[in-house]
Amino acid sequence: MSRWIAAIAVGLWLVAGGGASAQETVKLGQIEAQTGPNAIYGWMSSQGVPIAVDEINKAGGFQVGGKTYKLQLIAPDTRGDPKEATVQLKRLLEEEKVKFVFGPFLSNVFATIEPYAAQFDGKILMMGGATRIHEFLGKPGHDFLVRAWNWDVGPSGFGELMTDRVKQQGTKKIAILFQNDQGGKVIGDIYTDLFQKKGIEYQIEYFEPGTKDFSAVLAKLSAWNPDYLFPGYSDSAISDIVRQATEGNYFKRFFLVRGSLGPGLKNKDELDDYLVYVPKYFEQAEKTEPKVAKFVAAYKTFYKRDFPYDQAPLCSSACYDHVYMLVEAMKKAGTVDDVEAIRKALLSMTYDGLWKISFDAHAEQIMNFDIVHLKHGGAIEVTPVDPPR
Amino acid sequence: MIAALAAVALALVPLVVKADFVLTIFIFSFILGIAAVGFDIIFGIAGQLSMFHAASFGIAGYTTFLVMKAWALSFWLGLLPALALVVAMSVVIGSICFKFRLKAFYFAVVTLAFSELARLVVMNWTGLTNGTLGLMIMAKPVIGFGSLSRPIEGTLAWYYLTLVSLALAVVAARAVVRSWIGRACGAIRLNEDLAQTLGIDIFRYKMLAFAIANVLAALAGALFAFYTGYIDPSYLSIGQSLDIIAMVLIGGQGTVLGPVVGAFVLTGLPHLIEIGAEQRAMLIGAILIAAILLFPRGIVGSLIRLARRAV
Amino acid sequence: MTQLLIGQLLNGLIVGTLYGIIALGVTLTFGITGIVNFALGEFMMIGAYSAWYLADVVGLPYPVALLPAVAIAGLCGLAADQLLFRFTRDNLVNGLLVSIGLISIIESGALLSWTATPKEMDYVLSGTVRLAGIGLPKMRLVVFALLAAVIFLTYVGLMRTWLGRAAYAYAQNPEAARLMGVRTGLLQSGVFVYSTALAGLGGALYATLYSLEPFMGGLYVLKGVEAAILGGIGSLSGALVGGLILGVTESIGAIFLPTAFRDAYGLIFVVAILVLRPGGLFGEGR
Repeated sequence: MSRWIAAIAVGLWLVAGGGASAQETVKLGQIEAQTGPNAIYGWMSSQGVPIAVDEINKAGGFQVGGKTYKLQLIAPDTRGDPKEATVQLKRLLEEEKVKFVFGPFLSNVFATIEPYAAQFDGKILMMGGATRIHEFLGKPGHDFLVRAWNWDVGPSGFGELMTDRVKQQGTKKIAILFQNDQGGKVIGDIYTDLFQKKGIEYQIEYFEPGTKDFSAVLAKLSAWNPDYLFPGYSDSAISDIVRQATEGNYFKRFFLVRGSLGPGLKNKDELDDYLVYVPKYFEQAEKTEPKVAKFVAAYKTFYKRDFPYDQAPLCSSACYDHVYMLVEAMKKAGTVDDVEAIRKALLSMTYDGLWKISFDAHAEQIMNFDIVHLKHGGAIEVTPVDPPR
Repeated sequence: MIAALAAVALALVPLVVKADFVLTIFIFSFILGIAAVGFDIIFGIAGQLSMFHAASFGIAGYTTFLVMKAWALSFWLGLLPALALVVAMSVVIGSICFKFRLKAFYFAVVTLAFSELARLVVMNWTGLTNGTLGLMIMAKPVIGFGSLSRPIEGTLAWYYLTLVSLALAVVAARAVVRSWIGRACGAIRLNEDLAQTLGIDIFRYKMLAFAIANVLAALAGALFAFYTGYIDPSYLSIGQSLDIIAMVLIGGQGTVLGPVVGAFVLTGLPHLIEIGAEQRAMLIGAILIAAILLFPRGIVGSLIRLARRAV
Repeated sequence: MTQLLIGQLLNGLIVGTLYGIIALGVTLTFGITGIVNFALGEFMMIGAYSAWYLADVVGLPYPVALLPAVAIAGLCGLAADQLLFRFTRDNLVNGLLVSIGLISIIESGALLSWTATPKEMDYVLSGTVRLAGIGLPKMRLVVFALLAAVIFLTYVGLMRTWLGRAAYAYAQNPEAARLMGVRTGLLQSGVFVYSTALAGLGGALYATLYSLEPFMGGLYVLKGVEAAILGGIGSLSGALVGGLILGVTESIGAIFLPTAFRDAYGLIFVVAILVLRPGGLFGEGR
């Protein structure tokens, strides 16, 4: 009788996975705005990461140093509120003892949590797409920071490459019209610097976020006769700007580094050129890249709804690919705990997933992207660009 | 009595609760509680709906930090000009509104206008305030003098600093309410014309209430800015004013502890119930309406009423 | 330069009528029910999204979609009146606070239903009219004409009809009007619903010109309140004039001063008017 019990007990123990490979978990935290007015900037990442985590876990986890690990995702919704994000981050780092954090994309959230997060330098890795992370990279005591989005300027900068392109066409003057908020100001500073460097004359006007009527400022800017209008950065403003610019005959050529193709398509018969930087033009990539097609299909199966083509480009920041990259880095470094070793491995690799991602010496992301050129009447020309690394 | 007991209980909380993030929620509640107590003085006691609260909150944060930086002063010395500025603004705005005996609606709109103007100025005076990018505040308040001074760092230190500040604010508010100022303001709230015939100087008392309220909001703003280590123009947004109004209404206007309870409810609730931002906003809107139409006395007010009935 | 100025003057007038119709709603509500309905911006938003939904999703031609959209806004206004505002008559502060709470609810509801991604209604009327080098989109002219007509008709309706005169009598002397048999409850509800319908009309027309977002109402109700104060709370013609002045000032101001200050003009007007002439331009002075 007791032999049978012992046999069953051993059998159960083996079935439960006892023995050689013990099951352990690596916790992954994510702080993004999943709901609320700024959800556009966090929603896609919060959609892409669970798919990657699920895929990895379903495949049996990943092996590092002879042990098998699974991922556990803890993703509170910051709702875009810096105060709440602070509390949520504290919970992640102190209660859940998370070492790897994805996010935030929102700069005001990042600025608020930065003093706290910096206390954990050397103990965590924070990979976020916020524009303001850029100014902290490389500073002493900020090794924990990785910026999971590409930057506008520099030899691999998408803004710089786009500017070179229009300069080649003979562009001399560009009018800039941005929101008077954090994002707008930071981007404004970047591009006024860049244009000056490249010898392009510019005039810049800031408008109150929420403005709907742009006639006056468009009239003012167009009186200067620039080659392009450079509106930014969110679709809600761009829709109205492009429409009123073409309606009032103020501008016909548009240059964008944020925002989507949508506003251009709506006015395709009134404009001449609409040039926009898109991390990936998914409508086309789905047909030409097998990995992208697989991701789209996985999304539809996982969430049982349509694929958000207009939001998908934001999965280039702390999203699907980055989960796999982190796992690769852990494998390469041979550890799931030694944050410094993992960081070294992460920064030295090039990952080829939906995007081809690598990091520069300052832990800022470099990735390939598309320049989409919409012409009068609706013809679309997509130029893929792989920046120098 | 109850307030004293509550204060002691709160002082003992860190001995029991070790989770840092819970203490953080308490700290935010204490700070916003100070602002809410202030708002109750102008609204719950004096009966005037002011929308200038967020402006005092934000301006004080900016002023304290900028003065500290410019003249290498301590937090407390930097706070004084901030409070003075807020008082000066209260006098100016109060003069415009109260001198002409404008109706209540106009007071709300004018304070709103000034609050928005202040926000626009802060947002566009980039040279001084760094505009929408905000300022990173590295400095810390220091307690004590000379060799005994210690900077306020870390959750525990901030917990006690903000708890003590809240306690002082509550004590001060209670003193004001019980004094002749409080009684005059109460009379004004109930019937302004009658109060005037009784010889109460409406202008002076409304002004006092307004100034006191803004000073408390200013103190809260400075603490908030230094605690989070970051300030930007959104501190002065209408939404911030509305949050504080909601706290007072839900907690119980006209009572002294009501605003504090309201601050706790509004700050802690999102962490207890995990719902999306949209659902939360709807819930708060619904609670606000319920508080006005069904429970005008708020949580604390209703409890007081029940207690009186039981006795 | 003259072309620029005249062009912006005309544009400012058009934008001003949008402010004016909201101002009319504000002034009517305040004059007769004694409260300020800050949620009018949300009823404008309801009208706008309804128009978009009926025109783009259901597929009705816009002129057919317009009236139902306005009706939807009005019905929502009726619901709000019967369920909420009926209990805040003549209590200014409560009414104000209830309307603020209502704003959160309606705005969040819209966010949940349609997300923050802006919706653009299919263009109803394209093309620009050109006069002496100044271009004005045709749709804007249509919106201007419609709004101005409605405001004018409202003014005439209140001055010439029995109901209108009753409303004015009531506003001046509530007790006397009640004694004379004016059904005050019905009147107050009627005015409230009418003002939300006006806002809905503004929204439905707004949808032909601009993109829609759940937050669009906040800006317009603030401008509407500013315009109403400028023209004189309680004065119908003042509402339109206040709106026009505000619209023109913003447009012309944007030419000479940084656009970042666009919203400041209205705020400064409010303060200045209340200091110099609290009754507003068409009001009763001090």
